[in-house]
Amino acid sequence: MEKKLKLWFETFGDKENPDEFDAKQLVKLYSIKVPKGKRLGPEDELNINDIKPPYVVKVCSSNILHKTEQKGVLLNSDKECIQDNFKLMQDRFPKKNILVENQSTYMGPEFIIGIIKDPALGHAVMVGAGGVLTEIYKDTAFRLVPCSVNEATDMIDELVLSPVFDNFRGMSLDKKKLAQAISQVSRLAHDLGDKLSQLDINPIVFSDGEWIALDVKVMFEE
Amino acid sequence: MDKIASLKKFLNPKKIAVIGASKSKDKVGGIVFRRLLDSRRRLFPVNPKENAIEGHKVCPDIQSLPEDIDLAIITISAAAAVKSVEMCIKKGIPNYILVAGGFGEVGAEGRELEEKLTRLAKEKNVNILGPNSLGIFLPDENIDTIFVEHGDKALDRNGRVACIVQSGSVGVEALGYASNTGYGMRAFVGLGNKCDLDEIDFLHYFARDEKTNCLGFYLENIEKGRQFLTAAKDATKDKPVVVLKAGRTHTAASAVSSHTGKLAGSDNVISGALKQFGIQRVYDDEEFCDATKVLSMLSGAPGNRVAVLTAAGGYGVMCTDFIEKKDMRAPLKMAKLSKDTQKRIKEATFPFAACENPVDITASADDRMFSQSLDILIEDDGVDIIICIAFFAPPGISENLIDIIADKIKKSDKPVIVFTKYGPFTDNSIKNLYYAGVAAYPSVGRAVRAARFLVERTKIKQRLEQEA
Repeated sequence: MEKKLKLWFETFGDKENPDEFDAKQLVKLYSIKVPKGKRLGPEDELNINDIKPPYVVKVCSSNILHKTEQKGVLLNSDKECIQDNFKLMQDRFPKKNILVENQSTYMGPEFIIGIIKDPALGHAVMVGAGGVLTEIYKDTAFRLVPCSVNEATDMIDELVLSPVFDNFRGMSLDKKKLAQAISQVSRLAHDLGDKLSQLDINPIVFSDGEWIALDVKVMFEE
Repeated sequence: MDKIASLKKFLNPKKIAVIGASKSKDKVGGIVFRRLLDSRRRLFPVNPKENAIEGHKVCPDIQSLPEDIDLAIITISAAAAVKSVEMCIKKGIPNYILVAGGFGEVGAEGRELEEKLTRLAKEKNVNILGPNSLGIFLPDENIDTIFVEHGDKALDRNGRVACIVQSGSVGVEALGYASNTGYGMRAFVGLGNKCDLDEIDFLHYFARDEKTNCLGFYLENIEKGRQFLTAAKDATKDKPVVVLKAGRTHTAASAVSSHTGKLAGSDNVISGALKQFGIQRVYDDEEFCDATKVLSMLSGAPGNRVAVLTAAGGYGVMCTDFIEKKDMRAPLKMAKLSKDTQKRIKEATFPFAACENPVDITASADDRMFSQSLDILIEDDGVDIIICIAFFAPPGISENLIDIIADKIKKSDKPVIVFTKYGPFTDNSIKNLYYAGVAAYPSVGRAVRAARFLVERTKIKQRLEQEA
């Protein structure tokens, strides 16, 4: 296994399953950008001087799959209300860690990049229309890993959503950079090998000229 | 000997033993033996209960066979078939086709027999096709062991498509369809249960076979998925590879806690993988035949701009709808014809002919007008593909049109696909067009889809060349 991956395995918090913060550190090793953030323990005081507002406050635990439904996400906190919202989240989830991140502003639609393991063909990487409605749109494309940047570009072109890259309504989204991200995620899956069960980056959005992974979930084989 | 090299003898044997050959024309052993009578090979029927079949002396047992048999076709049932293989191996026979079912597909006992065959093939270094194999059919080699009706004569014309099929009935129906409408079969191989020889062996073989220019597979399961895909990608640099994959692959139950897992539930992964490795996927036997036929007859398309030439206005409009419809296959568009093209067609036909694309030269057109219009369209730089809607009902149009179109296609570097209907004679028309070297289809949708296969193929080739 790659050295950087070994190091990550030695240092990630929950030894059973990585939480969102750990998962983000993992994809970061493969050049996927993530928002600047800090994971704070149940007893920790808010200490985020190096993170710019606005903030998003999230419960950070691998056991909670649907944060939004469980009121585990608070958006749009500014400098004035972040302290209250942080406390609110700590009260809601008393024994859990809390993740405070800079909240990115972004343009255009949300995408999803994911990995699954096919019983016959091994790991496959997916790109699709992302966000909470991703399972309704079912606008997806798959390739086996590892997947080159060219192949990833073909995947994007297959999507119903693909015209957004042709200056649709004045949007200027970087297709090549998204293809690179897909290829990088496929490389991560390839390097992790059999250990990896599933991975979701949902959503990944275009913010300030870069694709940023706003939420990442990683599941390992038991 | 190398497995692939050894298949040459398997597919072109000189001496063939038929274990279980029978006098009865209803028994598989009787049908297979009679089929082989035309093969001009030396045949050795084996059956303890018979003395002679169709003038051939019958060997009472395997021991009495000569030493240098190339292929044994075992037509008897499961347990006895395995025993026969063991005995034949002692005689030094290198190749086997097992026709009988009753193996892995029926339960534990059958599975054990099948595993025994797998072991024998490996340990004794022999080739076994099947069990439950439909057999092999190579028109050029005059070898046909297929025991069901399949229009063998109709397919006997220097064909170049190698069809490798896992299941009996799908394979048979594809053969039947192909022989009704004309189809260039290089080889047909029924894989059956794949105890030894599988799709990868035949992929390697026919990828290197000079007489093959297109490979088609019907597969229900791809156990060695990555290996097949990698080998197919290698083959597809030179020859199109078409796969009909039935049976959706299910993602493991554990994979439903992620969005990706839920979205992968259907066969999206296999679709993506086939695309990634340059393989053209089809979804039924008709599409399988349509795709392999056009890919074998035409070598791709320089672009995706289609001109439609018709003498029947309604079909011209329908064709336009199909071309402009969004499709999961390669996109097509209607070609924009030059002013000069339009003028020349009007001059060659009628002043009232509709000469924007689709070009409708009306039911008053005759062979000469059709022929000249086709020439003019081929010469237009804005046209990559021509779909020719050929009807024989208008009084001015004769069946000479078939040869006229065929002649143009041979000279043109742009693909021409024909859509034709001729009432109850449709299949025959299509077959005659095939014999003249023209890929024709009996519906607008299928003719347009054939154009998409060609565009898709060219894109795949370009991508592979880029990667190289």
